[in-house]
Amino acid sequence: MTVDASRAELEERLRDIQSITDADLSRLGPQDLLSELLERGRDILQADTAAVLLLDYSSGQLVATAAAGLEEEVRQGVRIPLGRGFAGRIAAEQKPVILDHVDHTTVLNPILWAKGIRALVGVPLIAGGRVIGVLHVGSLTPREFTSDDVELLQLAAGRAATAVQSLIMREDRIAAAALQRSLLPFALPASDAGQLAARYVPGEGAVGGDWYDGFTLPSGQLCVVIGDVTGSGLPAAVIMGRMRSALRAYALESADPGEVLAKLDAKMQHFEPGAVATVAYAVFDPGMDRVRICLAGHYPPVVAVPGRPAELADVALGLLIGAAPGAQRPVTTLELAPGTLLCFYTDGLIERRDQAIDDGLARLCQAVSAQPPDAACAAVMAALVGRQPARDDIALLIVRRSPQEAA
Amino acid sequence: MNAETHDFKLQRAGPQVVVAMPAEIDIGNADQVRRALLSAMEPQVTVLIVDMSRTTFCDSAGVQAVIAAYRQAATTGTQLRLVATEVLRIFTVIGTDQLIPVYPTMEAAQAEMS
Repeated sequence: MTVDASRAELEERLRDIQSITDADLSRLGPQDLLSELLERGRDILQADTAAVLLLDYSSGQLVATAAAGLEEEVRQGVRIPLGRGFAGRIAAEQKPVILDHVDHTTVLNPILWAKGIRALVGVPLIAGGRVIGVLHVGSLTPREFTSDDVELLQLAAGRAATAVQSLIMREDRIAAAALQRSLLPFALPASDAGQLAARYVPGEGAVGGDWYDGFTLPSGQLCVVIGDVTGSGLPAAVIMGRMRSALRAYALESADPGEVLAKLDAKMQHFEPGAVATVAYAVFDPGMDRVRICLAGHYPPVVAVPGRPAELADVALGLLIGAAPGAQRPVTTLELAPGTLLCFYTDGLIERRDQAIDDGLARLCQAVSAQPPDAACAAVMAALVGRQPARDDIALLIVRRSPQEAA
Repeated sequence: MNAETHDFKLQRAGPQVVVAMPAEIDIGNADQVRRALLSAMEPQVTVLIVDMSRTTFCDSAGVQAVIAAYRQAATTGTQLRLVATEVLRIFTVIGTDQLIPVYPTMEAAQAEMS
């Protein structure tokens, strides 16, 4: 092949890659997109095998996700630790690697050399400045991959990586929203003694880790929870789900809200190190005449007594969950007159970039009044949210002791 | 939409280091804040002062960054101090004033004996 011919051929192969537009890629589902990437990788290098391993952030391992001519890699669930072996090195160093000899000294995954692959070239899949995986292409006949091969493969990988990343993010967003929906109670408990109402509005960007819960214990006590896991998207929603279940389990074991949050804190610090969350947990007596509240880094509820302006309840503050071991968990008891309403909320409701938190709290107090919970929720959302899109998640949970005449 | 990236100024006075925080801290720069605080904790540093005197907004991502610094400080024996005025409220509500002493001015934070 003359220099000119190879140059022309290179240019043609480049045009092939670029002919697939991002719009085309965005229309494909995740499996089709990966298949497309593999086919492209194999075609442009005229090679025999191709595989994509995607990085699983929680385990720090590359997971074989799609393959052509090397399907067993996916079927056997190959996982490669970051930094080890051929693919692990590419991801860790964020650099292409060419192997002219494939055996147990150069490649960690036995499937590759057992298959008879003689030469390999691999490039990192980089999106948004982060490695999201590795694409590698192999030859069953001896061959020396060149720097031109690497460049072509990188071009193919570059366009696909962005598409793969946005697909993963889209799937994560959908999963997080579904998880969030499944974890909010379908129906809140209600009795003659008291009623509940709630609102949840996801933030504009991604679903966050806000949640609320309401349930009764076998003793007839009513428990309400509101919380906010720091972070957003699927990771925050997953932690939120674990916290919600753990709190319910501890609630069955102890009627003391301080003990329940202490256990939840210990559980979180052991199993989810690094995660932080705020929680307000309240246990109402069956007659709704008394409530015990424990706050872990959460804003106190607003209390509205019929005929009086609403105010921030005087409840002891406690350290947020996940910050330090052995925190004190103070519990405050409030007596509730008939018709009294308690309003729990997450910070998304009151925090605004252009105003002090105290202003937000003052506006909330003005909007809350002792009325039926659903009407109270509507009034609060109208006054504090109005037509503004929510930047952060907003959760609102209102509990009212029935007025005397309804009891 | 998100807070902008910030040029972190480190000011050293013997074993004390002051890290100046941005005006707004949220998901857009919280990771940068966390890295700035963690990297400021060099072995010879015994007191790290987180200067939030010019900070007017700090959401839960910012809080998480400060907590990460607190955890690291607890393992290395570094003392963490916070200077906060406008965002004092949030650190009181989340209860971290039990863990990290908060001062109204830089002078007060620096004057405290370690």
